[in-house]
Amino acid sequence: MLLKDQVAVVTGGSRGIGKAVVLALAKEGAKVAFVYKGSADAAKTLEGEVATAGGTAKAYQGDVGDPTAGERIVEAVLAEWGRVDILVNNAGVIRDKLFLVMEPDDWNVVINTNLTGVFAFCKAVAKQMAFKQRSGRIINVSSIAAEHVNSGQANYAASKGAINSLTRVLAVELGRRNVLVNAVAPGFIATDMSQAVRNLAGEDNLKKMIPVRRLGTPEDIAAVVLFLASPAAAYITGQVITVDGGLSLGAVSG
Amino acid sequence: MTRDEIFTRVRTTLVDALNVDDNEVTPAARLRADLNAESIDFLDIVFRLEKQFALKIPREDLFPEAIFQGDPAFVANGKITPDGLAELETRMPYADLTEFRKDPKLEKMEDLFTVNLIVTYLESRVGK
Repeated sequence: MLLKDQVAVVTGGSRGIGKAVVLALAKEGAKVAFVYKGSADAAKTLEGEVATAGGTAKAYQGDVGDPTAGERIVEAVLAEWGRVDILVNNAGVIRDKLFLVMEPDDWNVVINTNLTGVFAFCKAVAKQMAFKQRSGRIINVSSIAAEHVNSGQANYAASKGAINSLTRVLAVELGRRNVLVNAVAPGFIATDMSQAVRNLAGEDNLKKMIPVRRLGTPEDIAAVVLFLASPAAAYITGQVITVDGGLSLGAVSG
Repeated sequence: MTRDEIFTRVRTTLVDALNVDDNEVTPAARLRADLNAESIDFLDIVFRLEKQFALKIPREDLFPEAIFQGDPAFVANGKITPDGLAELETRMPYADLTEFRKDPKLEKMEDLFTVNLIVTYLESRVGK
């Protein structure tokens, strides 16, 4: 097992990409604390699913958009398991609107969860990883929408672009203490979050834009997160790894 | 606490924070040039000293970051001005500026941060 006895924290862990990450890390022996906001039933189910597979996962309720959540939850995890080896900042929301009708609330909700929440969780683990453990992995879930932008996503694209920059700066500052910080930038993944876009654009049309001709699965992303958390990625830091089946190449197919 | 006791505790702290050997931590050792400390290590040292000595070290104390920020009143042509030296004395009364005054190059300021400086600073904080 790649992550035996390690402790991981995964935000937005009860559904979608986060759930696949929890399962992947737990399968490799990590004890996984995952954060969920509203999906209590899904969280319970996931705890059970991991336990049945012989792993350990524990759900923590919290709103990542609340700036105090990071410290509170990380402290609880440290009290329970004594260390944090892996942090996966996965929680994210969308509030798509054309900029001309985007209200401050639409902006704040997305920035608070997608960006300030990442800041808060990184802050909460940084001293532990850099000073106490002298090791750690932080993996931020970004999006190709940071660079390959979509209409209606000024808030979302800005939050993800900022995550990419934050990732690079943290990699520079924490590298000396063997804390590696990377991001994964998914393309179109078949989750609840992308459902509306998939409905609007039509899945067949979307698939034509993707060289490998399928939408991504949460497991496609979880596999790369696992890699970045694993010993094999010991010399990678400050990178944004695109996982999109080639979508961002922007090639015209046919 | 005597100066020797403070030094012994400081040495332990630096050995832990910087992965250096006991005998490298001499009173005159410069944190950056001799003990290879970098900016993140200075933070680590402050946190460890706070715990070790059970006191709060204000961020502008001990290792004030970028004291002068290129302020023309304090720095000119890469050297600390007389006004700058006076400011330095006020801000870091625990620093020994005797050598530095002879050739107060900005780039040499980091050499002020020695093991002795930490001990003297703590002496002023914890008493004897």
